[in-house]
Amino acid sequence: MSLHDKEMRAVYAETLNELMEENNNVLCVEADLSKASGTNPTVIDKNKERFVNCGVSEANMIGVGAGLAREGKIPFCASFSCFASRRVYDQVTISCAYANNNVKVVGTAPGITQGPNGGTHMCFQDLAIMRAMPNMHVYSPCDVYELKAVMRYMAKEKQPTYMQLIRSQVGKVFDETYVFNPNKAVVLKEGSDVTLVSTGYMTQFTPKAAERLEAAGISVEVLHYPSVKPFDEKTLIASAKKTRAVVTVENQNIIGGLGGAVCEVLSENCPTLVKRLGIPDRFGEVATEEYLFKKHGFGLEHIISACMKMAKRGK
Amino acid sequence: MGNQIQTKDEFNTDAYNKLANEFRHVITDIICRSGSGHVGGALSLVEIIITLYYRIMNIDPKNPDMPERDRFVLSKGHAGPVAYTALAYLGYFPKTWLPTLNADGTRLPSHMDQIQTPGVDMSTGSLGQGISCACGLALAAKMNNEKHSVFCIIGDGESNEGQVWEAGLFASHNKLDNLVCICDYNKLQIDGTTNEVLSLEPLTDKWIAFGWEVFEMDGHDWDDIYDKINLAKKVKGKPSMIIAHTIKAKGCKIIEGTAGSHNIKVPDKEAHEKYMNALDGEKVTLPY
Repeated sequence: MSLHDKEMRAVYAETLNELMEENNNVLCVEADLSKASGTNPTVIDKNKERFVNCGVSEANMIGVGAGLAREGKIPFCASFSCFASRRVYDQVTISCAYANNNVKVVGTAPGITQGPNGGTHMCFQDLAIMRAMPNMHVYSPCDVYELKAVMRYMAKEKQPTYMQLIRSQVGKVFDETYVFNPNKAVVLKEGSDVTLVSTGYMTQFTPKAAERLEAAGISVEVLHYPSVKPFDEKTLIASAKKTRAVVTVENQNIIGGLGGAVCEVLSENCPTLVKRLGIPDRFGEVATEEYLFKKHGFGLEHIISACMKMAKRGK
Repeated sequence: MGNQIQTKDEFNTDAYNKLANEFRHVITDIICRSGSGHVGGALSLVEIIITLYYRIMNIDPKNPDMPERDRFVLSKGHAGPVAYTALAYLGYFPKTWLPTLNADGTRLPSHMDQIQTPGVDMSTGSLGQGISCACGLALAAKMNNEKHSVFCIIGDGESNEGQVWEAGLFASHNKLDNLVCICDYNKLQIDGTTNEVLSLEPLTDKWIAFGWEVFEMDGHDWDDIYDKINLAKKVKGKPSMIIAHTIKAKGCKIIEGTAGSHNIKVPDKEAHEKYMNALDGEKVTLPY
């Protein structure tokens, strides 16, 4: 099986095992969702003594992670993104970021990928709230190759980090040669009429959108941001200067996340028309992806349509 | 004047009483200088902090990061001034830093900060978090097969936080017998007595039910503190909780035993003098 045929969580667990083999200090820390994170049984089978289950106690998990990190450990603390971000926001703020403890917080099943768990579990603000936290680094890898690269980077760099982890299989965007640089956006395709900016789960849809737009005679520049913080301003500004129109798409509320970051940077440096696609400030619900894309207007067809409109408005 | 006690010296009640009195003057003075502060919960811990830093913990002020040192987490981080006084007196930083408490640009913020202050093992201040962090420190020591102890002080008001009890479950489940916690049970919190606000009783039974070895001590009695902490250190297979019966704002007559002592406002020189004059012991010359 090729790597990209695997679920993201399977690759998360395999990569953790690799990192644990290379570095004794890497730990897998869970809060009774290890099966959902993919680390049970993959990590338990190989590294039982470095697998810590905190039970359904996410606040304590973050504190334990901070204590472990203070002693030189590199704990990857995972839970559903709703619990790993908003539920423990103060714990992450003080015990991890304020204290600058090297904790890796992993928010699994971001946004609408919570599917049948519905509105209580769909977290649409984790990128926004984590981005607003000093000292915090915020990543949202889009495919298995990027996930591996991001995790390797996280294990190497001593800094508190929040990473979104999609659990399911996702479309292949990169390959084995991919190198993660949090300070650089990835230019997936160059273009001149409109800039399409995405992160995480939504990036897999942008190459297809670009293909359809090109066929319709619209030249789209496609940017992928694996790191929402730090945020590569230069690439965005250069692209916006060229296209004069920007569309953002994310598996998040349109307030404060990737779209928010794009608007902040552009309004201070290069005022540009921006259309933000994502969840328009609503809660989630039990529903299929197709239903939610349609309801909130951020699926493939909406991306294409928004790019067409913005390409015209930017002229 | 001045402290002559060095750590691990033979215990002498008079010298330790003198030191505790000096600590109380320093704590009250530096809080008053800053205009306000958490004096009650700092004064209730003076004997416990002195015992930990001077008689119990294996630490080296010249080498604050010594790997084999005992770790200390003041989970009730607002009692920072009592720990800062111990750290300054032991030489982690100059005593002249003490009156900078909460001043602009200080390295001694009201709540403990591991980045700002030498000798601080964990940043605390958001209640409930420090005890979880202490569990992480203790678990790391177990994983590394290191023999040092982790000491953690929580507040009774802090024990309203659910995270304290999450940590309670975690520590006993993981048999963290290198973790010794002390609950500063002065029975007062911001809005009133612990019984009025949110009763903790039966507190000892709760910790026993959580799988901890539990001791009780008079938190102002040198021998009792020393003996109970040493007993707790010897416990095998489970963490220890020492319920320390203390008096909030101990030693400052006008606020002793009052909820209002949690955070006092000191608007002017007159108020400053009033609090200093209300201290029980002999007047001391402040060391800065």
